[in-house]
Amino acid sequence: MRLFKHYILFLSGVAVSVLLSITYSRVQRTLTPTPTPTFAMHARNTYTVWHTAENRRALDLSQKVRVLCWVMTQPQHLESRTQHVRDTWGKRCNIILYMSSKESDFPTVGLNVSEGRSQLYWKTIRAFQHIHKHHLDDADWFLKADDDTFVVLENLRYGLSKHNTEEPLFFGRRFTPFVKQGYMSGGAGYVLSKEALRRFVKGFAEGLCTHNTELEDTGLGQCMETMKVRTGDSRDVMRRQTFHPYPPDYYLPRQLPRRRPWYLLYEHYNPVEGPGCCSDLAISFHYIDAVGMHTLEYYTYHLRPYGYKYRFNPDLTD
Amino acid sequence: MTQPQHLESRTQHVRDTWGKRCNIILYMSSKESDFPTVGLNVSEGRSQLYWKTIRAFQHIHKHHLDDADWFLKADDDTFVVLENLRYGLSKHNTEEPLFFGRRFTPFVKQGYMSGGAGYVLSKEALRRFVKGFAEGLCTHNTELEDTGLGQCMETMKVRTGDSRDVMRRQTFHPYPPDYYLPRQLPRRRPWYLLYEHYNPVEGPGCCSDLAISFHYIDAVGMHTLEYYTYHLRPYGYKYRFNPDLTD
Repeated sequence: MRLFKHYILFLSGVAVSVLLSITYSRVQRTLTPTPTPTFAMHARNTYTVWHTAENRRALDLSQKVRVLCWVMTQPQHLESRTQHVRDTWGKRCNIILYMSSKESDFPTVGLNVSEGRSQLYWKTIRAFQHIHKHHLDDADWFLKADDDTFVVLENLRYGLSKHNTEEPLFFGRRFTPFVKQGYMSGGAGYVLSKEALRRFVKGFAEGLCTHNTELEDTGLGQCMETMKVRTGDSRDVMRRQTFHPYPPDYYLPRQLPRRRPWYLLYEHYNPVEGPGCCSDLAISFHYIDAVGMHTLEYYTYHLRPYGYKYRFNPDLTD
Repeated sequence: MTQPQHLESRTQHVRDTWGKRCNIILYMSSKESDFPTVGLNVSEGRSQLYWKTIRAFQHIHKHHLDDADWFLKADDDTFVVLENLRYGLSKHNTEEPLFFGRRFTPFVKQGYMSGGAGYVLSKEALRRFVKGFAEGLCTHNTELEDTGLGQCMETMKVRTGDSRDVMRRQTFHPYPPDYYLPRQLPRRRPWYLLYEHYNPVEGPGCCSDLAISFHYIDAVGMHTLEYYTYHLRPYGYKYRFNPDLTD
Protein backbone atom coordinates (compact mmCIF):
# COMPACT_ATOMS: atom_id res chain seq x y z
CA MET A 1 0.00 0.00 0.00
CA ARG A 2 2.74 2.35 1.00
CA LEU A 3 4.73 1.41 -2.02
CA PHE A 4 1.75 2.27 -4.22
CA LYS A 5 1.43 5.69 -2.56
CA HIS A 6 5.09 6.35 -3.20
CA TYR A 7 4.66 5.18 -6.74
CA ILE A 8 1.78 7.64 -7.26
CA LEU A 9 3.78 10.44 -5.71
CA PHE A 10 6.70 9.66 -7.92
CA LEU A 11 4.56 9.60 -11.05
CA SER A 12 2.84 12.87 -10.19
CA GLY A 13 6.23 14.41 -9.58
CA VAL A 14 7.34 13.28 -13.00
CA ALA A 15 4.11 14.57 -14.52
CA VAL A 16 4.50 17.96 -12.87
CA SER A 17 8.06 18.34 -14.03
CA VAL A 18 7.15 17.30 -17.55
CA LEU A 19 4.35 19.84 -17.60
CA LEU A 20 6.64 22.51 -16.21
CA SER A 21 9.32 21.88 -18.78
CA ILE A 22 6.82 22.01 -21.61
CA THR A 23 5.46 25.31 -20.33
CA TYR A 24 8.95 26.64 -19.77
CA SER A 25 10.10 25.82 -23.28
CA ARG A 26 6.99 27.46 -24.71
CA VAL A 27 7.73 30.60 -22.71
CA GLN A 28 11.34 30.45 -23.83
CA ARG A 29 10.29 30.44 -27.45
CA THR A 30 8.17 33.58 -27.05
CA LEU A 31 10.83 35.35 -24.99
CA THR A 32 13.53 34.78 -27.57
CA PRO A 33 11.78 35.25 -30.93
CA THR A 34 13.59 34.62 -34.18
CA PRO A 35 15.90 37.61 -34.71
CA THR A 36 14.52 40.33 -36.98
CA PRO A 37 16.28 40.40 -40.31
CA THR A 38 18.16 43.63 -40.36
CA PHE A 39 20.09 45.93 -42.69
CA ALA A 40 22.56 46.49 -39.88
CA MET A 41 24.64 43.45 -40.67
CA HIS A 42 27.91 43.55 -42.47
CA ALA A 43 28.40 42.81 -46.09
CA ARG A 44 29.92 39.45 -46.93
CA ASN A 45 32.20 41.16 -49.39
CA THR A 46 33.84 44.04 -47.58
CA TYR A 47 34.36 47.02 -49.85
CA THR A 48 37.77 48.59 -49.56
CA VAL A 49 37.91 52.26 -48.77
CA TRP A 50 37.96 54.11 -52.04
CA HIS A 51 41.35 55.72 -52.38
CA THR A 52 41.44 58.50 -54.88
CA ALA A 53 43.69 61.42 -55.48
CA GLU A 54 41.17 63.37 -53.43
CA ASN A 55 41.70 61.39 -50.26
CA ARG A 56 45.45 61.57 -50.38
CA ARG A 57 45.67 65.31 -50.82
CA ALA A 58 42.84 66.25 -48.52
CA LEU A 59 44.58 66.19 -45.19
CA ASP A 60 47.28 68.63 -46.28
CA LEU A 61 44.92 71.34 -47.39
CA SER A 62 43.67 72.54 -44.02
CA GLN A 63 47.23 73.29 -42.97
CA LYS A 64 48.54 74.45 -46.33
CA VAL A 65 45.57 76.70 -47.11
CA ARG A 66 44.58 78.36 -43.86
CA VAL A 67 41.30 80.23 -44.02
CA LEU A 68 40.10 82.85 -41.58
CA CYS A 69 36.32 83.19 -41.81
CA TRP A 70 34.43 86.16 -40.53
CA VAL A 71 30.66 86.06 -40.31
CA MET A 72 28.65 89.26 -40.54
CA THR A 73 26.07 89.03 -37.78
CA GLN A 74 24.23 90.97 -35.10
CA PRO A 75 23.07 90.42 -31.49
CA GLN A 76 19.50 89.59 -32.50
CA HIS A 77 20.69 86.81 -34.81
CA LEU A 78 23.00 84.93 -32.51
CA GLU A 79 20.40 82.42 -31.41
CA SER A 80 18.31 82.21 -34.56
CA ARG A 81 21.09 82.09 -37.11
CA THR A 82 24.68 82.38 -35.95
CA GLN A 83 24.66 79.48 -33.54
CA HIS A 84 23.66 77.23 -36.41
CA VAL A 85 26.62 78.46 -38.39
CA ARG A 86 28.75 77.65 -35.40
CA ASP A 87 27.17 74.20 -35.06
CA THR A 88 27.74 73.33 -38.68
CA TRP A 89 30.41 74.82 -40.96
CA GLY A 90 31.93 77.46 -38.64
CA LYS A 91 34.19 74.96 -36.95
CA ARG A 92 35.84 74.02 -40.23
CA CYS A 93 37.54 77.38 -40.63
CA ASN A 94 41.08 77.59 -39.27
CA ILE A 95 39.88 80.70 -37.46
CA ILE A 96 36.25 81.87 -37.22
CA LEU A 97 35.26 85.36 -36.09
CA TYR A 98 31.68 86.45 -35.56
CA MET A 99 31.53 90.18 -36.26
CA SER A 100 28.77 92.15 -34.56
CA SER A 101 28.11 95.63 -33.28
CA LYS A 102 28.57 94.32 -29.75
CA GLU A 103 31.17 92.11 -28.15
CA SER A 104 29.72 89.06 -26.36
CA ASP A 105 30.49 85.65 -24.94
CA PHE A 106 29.23 83.94 -28.08
CA PRO A 107 32.00 84.96 -28.74
CA THR A 108 31.47 87.96 -31.01
CA VAL A 109 33.89 90.69 -31.91
CA GLY A 110 32.43 94.12 -31.19
CA LEU A 111 32.99 96.53 -34.08
CA ASN A 112 32.60 100.26 -33.58
CA VAL A 113 29.34 100.45 -35.59
CA SER A 114 25.57 100.41 -35.28
CA GLU A 115 23.30 97.75 -36.72
CA GLY A 116 21.15 97.93 -39.82
CA ARG A 117 21.42 97.55 -43.58
CA SER A 118 22.89 101.03 -43.95
CA GLN A 119 25.82 100.05 -41.77
CA LEU A 120 26.86 96.96 -43.64
CA TYR A 121 29.77 98.54 -45.46
CA TRP A 122 31.01 100.17 -42.26
CA LYS A 123 30.91 96.76 -40.60
CA THR A 124 32.85 95.27 -43.47
CA ILE A 125 35.51 97.98 -43.34
CA ARG A 126 35.90 97.69 -39.57
CA ALA A 127 35.92 93.89 -39.74
CA PHE A 128 38.77 93.78 -42.23
CA GLN A 129 40.68 96.43 -40.33
CA HIS A 130 40.32 94.34 -37.16
CA ILE A 131 41.50 91.21 -38.96
CA HIS A 132 44.42 93.04 -40.53
CA LYS A 133 45.46 94.35 -37.15
CA HIS A 134 45.14 91.13 -35.16
CA HIS A 135 45.25 88.17 -37.51
CA LEU A 136 47.19 89.00 -40.64
CA ASP A 137 49.72 86.24 -40.05
CA ASP A 138 47.27 83.69 -38.66
CA ALA A 139 45.84 82.72 -42.02
CA ASP A 140 46.47 82.73 -45.73
CA TRP A 141 43.02 83.71 -47.01
CA PHE A 142 40.23 85.79 -45.54
CA LEU A 143 36.60 84.84 -46.18
CA LYS A 144 33.56 86.99 -45.51
CA ALA A 145 30.20 85.29 -45.13
CA ASP A 146 26.74 86.21 -43.87
CA ASP A 147 25.04 84.46 -40.98
CA ASP A 148 22.76 82.83 -43.55
CA THR A 149 25.51 81.62 -45.84
CA PHE A 150 26.52 77.93 -45.82
CA VAL A 151 30.16 77.37 -46.76
CA VAL A 152 31.95 74.13 -47.69
CA LEU A 153 35.46 74.86 -46.48
CA GLU A 154 37.10 71.87 -48.13
CA ASN A 155 36.02 73.03 -51.55
CA LEU A 156 37.10 76.58 -50.84
CA ARG A 157 40.57 75.37 -49.86
CA TYR A 158 40.74 73.21 -52.93
CA GLY A 159 39.89 76.15 -55.18
CA LEU A 160 42.37 78.44 -53.45
CA SER A 161 45.17 75.88 -53.33
CA LYS A 162 46.33 76.75 -56.82
CA HIS A 163 46.68 80.46 -56.08
CA ASN A 164 49.30 82.59 -54.40
CA THR A 165 48.06 84.63 -51.46
CA GLU A 166 50.79 87.22 -51.97
CA GLU A 167 49.07 88.23 -55.18
CA PRO A 168 46.30 90.82 -55.13
CA LEU A 169 43.26 88.60 -55.81
CA PHE A 170 39.78 88.06 -54.56
CA PHE A 171 37.20 85.42 -55.42
CA GLY A 172 33.44 85.00 -55.13
CA ARG A 173 30.32 85.15 -57.33
CA ARG A 174 31.29 87.71 -59.91
CA PHE A 175 28.66 90.34 -60.67
CA THR A 176 28.91 92.85 -63.48
CA PRO A 177 27.27 96.18 -62.76
CA PHE A 178 28.69 99.26 -61.02
CA VAL A 179 32.35 98.17 -61.06
CA LYS A 180 34.29 97.88 -64.30
CA GLN A 181 36.07 94.62 -63.54
CA GLY A 182 33.05 93.37 -61.63
CA TYR A 183 32.55 92.77 -57.92
CA MET A 184 31.62 89.80 -55.73
CA SER A 185 28.12 89.14 -54.40
CA GLY A 186 28.09 89.79 -50.67
CA GLY A 187 25.60 87.10 -49.75
CA ALA A 188 27.43 84.34 -51.56
CA GLY A 189 30.57 85.22 -49.65
CA TYR A 190 33.93 86.31 -50.98
CA VAL A 191 37.54 85.60 -50.09
CA LEU A 192 40.53 87.93 -50.18
CA SER A 193 44.17 87.02 -50.54
CA LYS A 194 46.59 88.39 -47.97
CA GLU A 195 47.79 91.04 -50.39
CA ALA A 196 44.20 92.01 -51.19
CA LEU A 197 43.50 92.46 -47.49
CA ARG A 198 46.61 94.63 -47.07
CA ARG A 199 45.59 96.81 -50.01
CA PHE A 200 42.00 97.16 -48.80
CA VAL A 201 43.14 98.40 -45.40
CA LYS A 202 45.82 100.58 -47.00
CA GLY A 203 43.23 102.09 -49.31
CA PHE A 204 41.22 103.35 -46.37
CA ALA A 205 44.30 104.44 -44.45
CA GLU A 206 45.43 106.60 -47.35
CA GLY A 207 41.99 107.87 -48.33
CA LEU A 208 42.09 106.17 -51.72
CA CYS A 209 39.02 104.18 -50.67
CA THR A 210 36.18 105.78 -48.78
CA HIS A 211 32.76 104.81 -47.47
CA ASN A 212 31.05 105.92 -50.66
CA THR A 213 28.11 103.50 -50.58
CA GLU A 214 26.00 101.49 -48.17
CA LEU A 215 26.30 98.37 -50.29
CA GLU A 216 29.15 96.37 -48.82
CA ASP A 217 29.79 94.14 -51.79
CA THR A 218 29.73 96.93 -54.37
CA GLY A 219 31.79 99.18 -52.10
CA LEU A 220 34.45 96.58 -51.50
CA GLY A 221 34.50 95.79 -55.22
CA GLN A 222 35.15 99.44 -56.04
CA CYS A 223 37.97 99.65 -53.52
CA MET A 224 39.49 96.48 -54.93
CA GLU A 225 39.48 97.99 -58.38
CA THR A 226 40.98 101.23 -57.09
CA MET A 227 43.76 99.32 -55.33
CA LYS A 228 44.37 97.14 -58.40
CA VAL A 229 43.23 93.90 -56.81
CA ARG A 230 42.05 91.53 -59.51
CA THR A 231 38.75 89.67 -59.68
CA GLY A 232 39.30 85.95 -59.86
CA ASP A 233 37.23 83.32 -61.67
CA SER A 234 35.87 80.92 -59.09
CA ARG A 235 34.19 78.51 -61.49
CA ASP A 236 35.33 74.90 -61.62
CA VAL A 237 37.08 73.17 -64.55
CA MET A 238 33.72 72.65 -66.23
CA ARG A 239 32.85 76.36 -65.85
CA ARG A 240 30.27 75.66 -63.17
CA GLN A 241 29.76 78.18 -60.39
CA THR A 242 30.97 77.48 -56.87
CA PHE A 243 29.70 80.53 -54.95
CA HIS A 244 25.91 80.90 -54.97
CA PRO A 245 23.88 83.94 -53.84
CA TYR A 246 20.78 81.76 -53.52
CA PRO A 247 20.00 78.19 -52.43
CA PRO A 248 20.51 75.40 -55.01
CA ASP A 249 16.85 75.10 -55.90
CA TYR A 250 16.99 78.55 -57.48
CA TYR A 251 19.44 77.37 -60.13
CA LEU A 252 19.08 73.60 -60.46
CA PRO A 253 15.73 73.33 -62.23
CA ARG A 254 15.68 74.18 -65.89
CA GLN A 255 13.20 76.97 -66.42
CA LEU A 256 10.77 77.84 -69.16
CA PRO A 257 11.76 80.97 -71.08
CA ARG A 258 10.92 83.96 -68.93
CA ARG A 259 12.03 87.46 -68.10
CA ARG A 260 15.41 87.01 -66.45
CA PRO A 261 15.39 87.72 -62.72
CA TRP A 262 17.85 90.35 -61.47
CA TYR A 263 20.24 87.87 -60.01
CA LEU A 264 20.83 86.38 -63.44
CA LEU A 265 21.15 89.76 -65.12
CA TYR A 266 23.96 90.71 -62.77
CA GLU A 267 26.04 87.67 -63.67
CA HIS A 268 29.47 88.34 -65.13
CA TYR A 269 29.75 84.91 -66.65
CA ASN A 270 26.94 83.57 -68.79
CA PRO A 271 24.35 82.29 -66.34
CA VAL A 272 23.40 78.63 -66.55
CA GLU A 273 20.20 77.14 -65.21
CA GLY A 274 19.80 73.43 -64.79
CA PRO A 275 22.44 70.87 -63.88
CA GLY A 276 25.31 72.95 -65.28
CA CYS A 277 24.65 75.70 -62.75
CA CYS A 278 26.40 74.36 -59.79
CA SER A 279 29.72 72.66 -59.30
CA ASP A 280 29.90 69.32 -57.52
CA LEU A 281 32.51 71.08 -55.42
CA ALA A 282 30.27 74.01 -54.54
CA ILE A 283 31.65 76.45 -52.01
CA SER A 284 28.68 78.45 -50.77
CA PHE A 285 24.92 78.88 -50.73
CA HIS A 286 23.06 81.91 -49.40
CA TYR A 287 19.66 82.52 -47.78
CA ILE A 288 20.05 79.36 -45.74
CA ASP A 289 18.02 79.42 -42.52
CA ALA A 290 18.69 77.45 -39.35
CA VAL A 291 16.98 74.27 -40.53
CA GLY A 292 18.69 74.70 -43.88
CA MET A 293 22.12 74.80 -42.23
CA HIS A 294 21.62 71.44 -40.59
CA THR A 295 20.01 69.94 -43.66
CA LEU A 296 22.86 71.11 -45.89
CA GLU A 297 25.30 69.74 -43.35
CA TYR A 298 23.58 66.35 -43.70
CA TYR A 299 23.47 66.53 -47.49
CA THR A 300 27.11 67.59 -47.81
CA TYR A 301 28.90 65.64 -45.10
CA HIS A 302 26.69 62.58 -44.66
CA LEU A 303 24.21 61.56 -47.34
CA ARG A 304 25.86 59.64 -50.15
CA PRO A 305 25.29 56.57 -52.34
CA TYR A 306 27.26 53.55 -51.15
CA GLY A 307 30.09 52.67 -53.46
CA TYR A 308 29.23 55.38 -55.96
CA LYS A 309 32.04 56.50 -58.21
CA TYR A 310 31.61 60.19 -58.88
CA ARG A 311 31.74 61.12 -62.50
CA PHE A 312 33.36 64.47 -61.88
CA ASN A 313 37.01 64.22 -60.87
CA PRO A 314 38.53 67.71 -60.90
CA ASP A 315 42.07 66.41 -60.69
CA LEU A 316 41.81 64.37 -63.87
CA THR A 317 40.83 67.21 -66.17
CA ASP A 318 44.25 68.80 -65.99
CA MET B 1 2.56 54.37 -58.07
CA THR B 2 1.39 57.16 -60.33
CA GLN B 3 -1.51 58.46 -62.41
CA PRO B 4 -2.06 60.17 -65.76
CA GLN B 5 -2.35 63.65 -64.25
CA HIS B 6 1.02 63.31 -62.54
CA LEU B 7 3.14 62.16 -65.43
CA GLU B 8 4.37 65.63 -66.32
CA SER B 9 4.38 67.24 -62.90
CA ARG B 10 5.91 64.40 -60.93
CA THR B 11 6.70 61.15 -62.68
CA GLN B 12 8.95 62.53 -65.38
CA HIS B 13 11.17 63.95 -62.66
CA VAL B 14 11.40 60.53 -61.10
CA ARG B 15 12.37 59.24 -64.52
CA ASP B 16 14.93 62.03 -64.96
CA THR B 17 16.57 61.36 -61.63
CA TRP B 18 16.52 58.09 -59.72
CA GLY B 19 14.24 55.98 -61.90
CA LYS B 20 17.02 55.05 -64.28
CA ARG B 21 19.05 53.48 -61.50
CA CYS B 22 16.62 50.62 -61.03
CA ASN B 23 17.38 47.44 -62.97
CA ILE B 24 13.78 47.63 -64.14
CA ILE B 25 11.44 50.56 -63.57
CA LEU B 26 7.69 50.32 -64.08
CA TYR B 27 5.32 53.26 -63.85
CA MET B 28 1.98 51.90 -62.66
CA SER B 29 -1.10 53.93 -63.58
CA SER B 30 -4.75 53.39 -64.30
CA LYS B 31 -4.02 53.90 -67.99
CA GLU B 32 -1.39 52.55 -70.30
CA SER B 33 0.57 55.22 -72.15
CA ASP B 34 3.74 55.96 -74.09
CA PHE B 35 5.44 57.38 -71.01
CA PRO B 36 5.58 54.35 -70.72
CA THR B 37 3.07 53.43 -68.06
CA VAL B 38 1.53 50.08 -67.27
CA GLY B 39 -2.25 50.24 -67.29
CA LEU B 40 -3.77 48.46 -64.28
CA ASN B 41 -7.42 47.53 -64.25
CA VAL B 42 -8.37 50.18 -61.66
CA SER B 43 -9.71 53.70 -61.31
CA GLU B 44 -7.78 56.60 -59.82
CA GLY B 45 -8.19 58.10 -56.38
CA ARG B 46 -7.05 57.55 -52.81
CA SER B 47 -9.67 54.85 -52.29
CA GLN B 48 -8.15 52.76 -55.08
CA LEU B 49 -4.58 52.73 -53.80
CA TYR B 50 -4.72 49.26 -52.35
CA TRP B 51 -6.36 47.90 -55.52
CA LYS B 52 -3.54 49.47 -57.52
CA THR B 53 -0.97 47.89 -55.26
CA ILE B 54 -2.56 44.46 -55.55
CA ARG B 55 -2.84 44.68 -59.33
CA ALA B 56 0.68 46.05 -59.62
CA PHE B 57 2.22 43.18 -57.70
CA GLN B 58 0.11 40.68 -59.60
CA HIS B 59 1.35 42.17 -62.86
CA ILE B 60 4.95 42.03 -61.71
CA HIS B 61 4.55 38.46 -60.49
CA LYS B 62 3.09 37.47 -63.83
CA HIS B 63 5.59 39.21 -66.08
CA HIS B 64 8.79 39.92 -64.16
CA LEU B 65 9.24 37.40 -61.37
CA ASP B 66 12.54 36.17 -62.74
CA ASP B 67 13.80 39.53 -63.94
CA ALA B 68 14.81 40.81 -60.51
CA ASP B 69 15.69 39.74 -57.00
CA TRP B 70 13.83 42.41 -55.04
CA PHE B 71 10.69 44.39 -55.71
CA LEU B 72 10.43 48.00 -54.54
CA LYS B 73 7.27 50.04 -54.40
CA ALA B 74 7.58 53.83 -54.35
CA ASP B 75 5.30 56.81 -54.86
CA ASP B 76 5.81 59.41 -57.57
CA ASP B 77 6.96 61.79 -54.84
CA THR B 78 9.45 59.42 -53.23
CA PHE B 79 13.18 59.88 -53.88
CA VAL B 80 15.14 56.62 -53.68
CA VAL B 81 18.91 56.08 -53.47
CA LEU B 82 19.25 52.71 -55.21
CA GLU B 83 22.88 52.14 -54.27
CA ASN B 84 22.04 52.26 -50.58
CA LEU B 85 19.02 50.02 -51.05
CA ARG B 86 21.18 47.44 -52.80
CA TYR B 87 23.78 47.68 -50.06
CA GLY B 88 21.17 47.04 -47.35
CA LEU B 89 19.60 44.15 -49.25
CA SER B 90 22.91 42.55 -50.21
CA LYS B 91 23.13 40.64 -46.96
CA HIS B 92 19.71 39.07 -47.31
CA ASN B 93 18.33 36.08 -49.14
CA THR B 94 15.51 36.86 -51.50
CA GLU B 95 14.15 33.34 -51.21
CA GLU B 96 13.20 34.12 -47.63
CA PRO B 97 9.85 35.73 -46.88
CA LEU B 98 10.95 39.26 -45.93
CA PHE B 99 10.03 42.82 -46.58
CA PHE B 100 11.73 46.08 -45.56
CA GLY B 101 10.76 49.73 -45.22
CA ARG B 102 9.92 52.27 -42.51
CA ARG B 103 8.36 50.10 -39.84
CA PHE B 104 5.15 51.44 -38.32
CA THR B 105 3.43 49.90 -35.32
CA PRO B 106 -0.35 50.24 -35.31
CA PHE B 107 -2.96 48.02 -36.94
CA VAL B 108 -0.71 45.07 -37.69
CA LYS B 109 0.82 42.97 -34.92
CA GLN B 110 4.30 42.65 -36.37
CA GLY B 111 4.08 46.13 -37.83
CA TYR B 112 3.78 47.27 -41.43
CA MET B 113 5.80 49.51 -43.73
CA SER B 114 4.94 53.14 -44.46
CA GLY B 115 3.68 53.40 -48.03
CA GLY B 116 5.11 56.82 -48.80
CA ALA B 117 8.61 55.94 -47.67
CA GLY B 118 8.58 52.98 -50.02
CA TYR B 119 8.98 49.30 -49.20
CA VAL B 120 10.74 46.37 -50.82
CA LEU B 121 9.64 42.74 -51.00
CA SER B 122 11.80 39.66 -51.41
CA LYS B 123 10.90 37.26 -54.18
CA GLU B 124 9.31 34.87 -51.71
CA ALA B 125 7.33 37.72 -50.17
CA LEU B 126 6.02 38.64 -53.60
CA ARG B 127 5.03 35.03 -54.31
CA ARG B 128 3.19 34.80 -51.02
CA PHE B 129 1.40 38.13 -51.50
CA VAL B 130 0.07 37.03 -54.85
CA LYS B 131 -0.71 33.57 -53.53
CA GLY B 132 -2.61 35.09 -50.61
CA PHE B 133 -4.98 36.83 -52.97
CA ALA B 134 -5.25 33.85 -55.28
CA GLU B 135 -6.32 31.64 -52.39
CA GLY B 136 -8.55 34.16 -50.66
CA LEU B 137 -6.34 34.32 -47.58
CA CYS B 138 -5.74 37.99 -48.27
CA THR B 139 -8.54 40.25 -49.43
CA HIS B 140 -9.07 43.91 -50.20
CA ASN B 141 -10.11 44.66 -46.63
CA THR B 142 -8.94 48.28 -46.47
CA GLU B 143 -8.26 51.28 -48.69
CA LEU B 144 -4.89 51.90 -47.03
CA GLU B 145 -2.34 50.20 -49.25
CA ASP B 146 0.47 50.07 -46.72
CA THR B 147 -1.66 48.75 -43.88
CA GLY B 148 -3.40 46.31 -46.18
CA LEU B 149 -0.20 44.92 -47.56
CA GLY B 150 1.21 44.70 -44.05
CA GLN B 151 -1.78 42.64 -42.92
CA CYS B 152 -1.44 40.31 -45.87
CA MET B 153 2.26 39.91 -45.15
CA GLU B 154 1.47 38.91 -41.61
CA THR B 155 -1.22 36.47 -42.74
CA MET B 156 1.19 34.89 -45.19
CA LYS B 157 3.95 34.74 -42.57
CA VAL B 158 6.25 37.18 -44.30
CA ARG B 159 8.49 38.81 -41.73
CA THR B 160 9.08 42.54 -41.19
CA GLY B 161 12.73 43.43 -41.51
CA ASP B 162 14.75 46.10 -39.70
CA SER B 163 16.06 48.56 -42.25
CA ARG B 164 18.09 50.71 -39.89
CA ASP B 165 21.86 50.97 -40.37
CA VAL B 166 24.54 49.67 -37.98
CA MET B 167 24.14 52.78 -35.84
CA ARG B 168 20.36 52.24 -35.62
CA ARG B 169 19.63 55.20 -37.87
CA GLN B 170 16.65 55.04 -40.22
CA THR B 171 17.12 54.61 -43.95
CA PHE B 172 13.53 54.87 -45.23
CA HIS B 173 11.86 58.21 -44.49
CA PRO B 174 8.14 59.07 -44.85
CA TYR B 175 9.01 62.80 -44.88
CA PRO B 176 11.83 64.97 -46.23
CA PRO B 177 15.01 65.22 -44.13
CA ASP B 178 14.18 68.61 -42.66
CA TYR B 179 11.32 67.01 -40.72
CA TYR B 180 13.73 64.88 -38.72
CA LEU B 181 17.13 66.56 -38.78
CA PRO B 182 16.50 69.53 -36.48
CA ARG B 183 16.33 68.82 -32.80
CA GLN B 184 13.00 69.98 -31.49
CA LEU B 185 11.84 71.56 -28.27
CA PRO B 186 9.63 69.23 -26.22
CA ARG B 187 6.20 69.17 -27.82
CA ARG B 188 3.25 66.91 -28.39
CA ARG B 189 4.55 64.17 -30.65
CA PRO B 190 3.24 64.40 -34.21
CA TRP B 191 1.46 61.31 -35.56
CA TYR B 192 4.32 60.20 -37.74
CA LEU B 193 6.50 59.78 -34.67
CA LEU B 194 3.82 58.00 -32.69
CA TYR B 195 3.50 55.36 -35.38
CA GLU B 196 7.18 54.49 -35.24
CA HIS B 197 8.03 50.90 -34.34
CA TYR B 198 11.56 51.73 -33.31
CA ASN B 199 12.17 54.54 -30.86
CA PRO B 200 12.00 57.71 -32.94
CA VAL B 201 15.07 59.94 -33.01
CA GLU B 202 15.08 63.60 -33.92
CA GLY B 203 18.28 65.40 -34.67
CA PRO B 204 21.41 64.05 -36.34
CA GLY B 205 20.75 60.47 -35.25
CA CYS B 206 17.57 60.36 -37.27
CA CYS B 207 18.87 59.62 -40.65
CA SER B 208 21.52 57.26 -41.92
CA ASP B 209 24.35 58.57 -44.10
CA LEU B 210 23.28 55.77 -46.41
CA ALA B 211 19.66 56.83 -46.51
CA ILE B 212 17.43 54.96 -48.94
CA SER B 213 14.34 57.10 -49.38
CA PHE B 214 12.62 60.41 -48.69
CA HIS B 215 8.94 61.14 -49.29
CA TYR B 216 6.90 64.24 -50.20
CA ILE B 217 9.58 65.32 -52.64
CA ASP B 218 8.24 67.54 -55.41
CA ALA B 219 9.72 68.05 -58.87
CA VAL B 220 12.27 70.66 -57.79
CA GLY B 221 13.06 68.53 -54.76
CA MET B 222 13.87 65.54 -56.98
CA HIS B 223 16.51 67.46 -58.89
CA THR B 224 17.87 69.13 -55.79
CA LEU B 225 18.18 65.78 -53.98
CA GLU B 226 19.85 64.37 -57.06
CA TYR B 227 22.41 67.17 -56.83
CA TYR B 228 22.88 66.73 -53.08
CA THR B 229 23.26 62.96 -53.27
CA TYR B 230 25.19 62.37 -56.49
CA HIS B 231 27.15 65.60 -56.90
CA LEU B 232 27.68 67.95 -53.97
CA ARG B 233 30.50 66.81 -51.73
CA PRO B 234 33.52 68.22 -49.86
CA TYR B 235 36.78 67.68 -51.73
CA GLY B 236 38.95 65.10 -50.06
CA TYR B 237 36.61 64.62 -47.14
CA LYS B 238 37.00 61.35 -45.28
CA TYR B 239 33.56 60.27 -44.13
CA ARG B 240 33.39 59.35 -40.49
CA PHE B 241 30.75 56.68 -40.98
CA ASN B 242 32.08 53.54 -42.60
CA PRO B 243 29.45 50.81 -42.36
CA ASP B 244 31.89 48.08 -43.28
CA LEU B 245 34.29 48.81 -40.43
CA THR B 246 31.95 48.63 -37.44
CA ASP B 247 32.39 44.91 -36.88
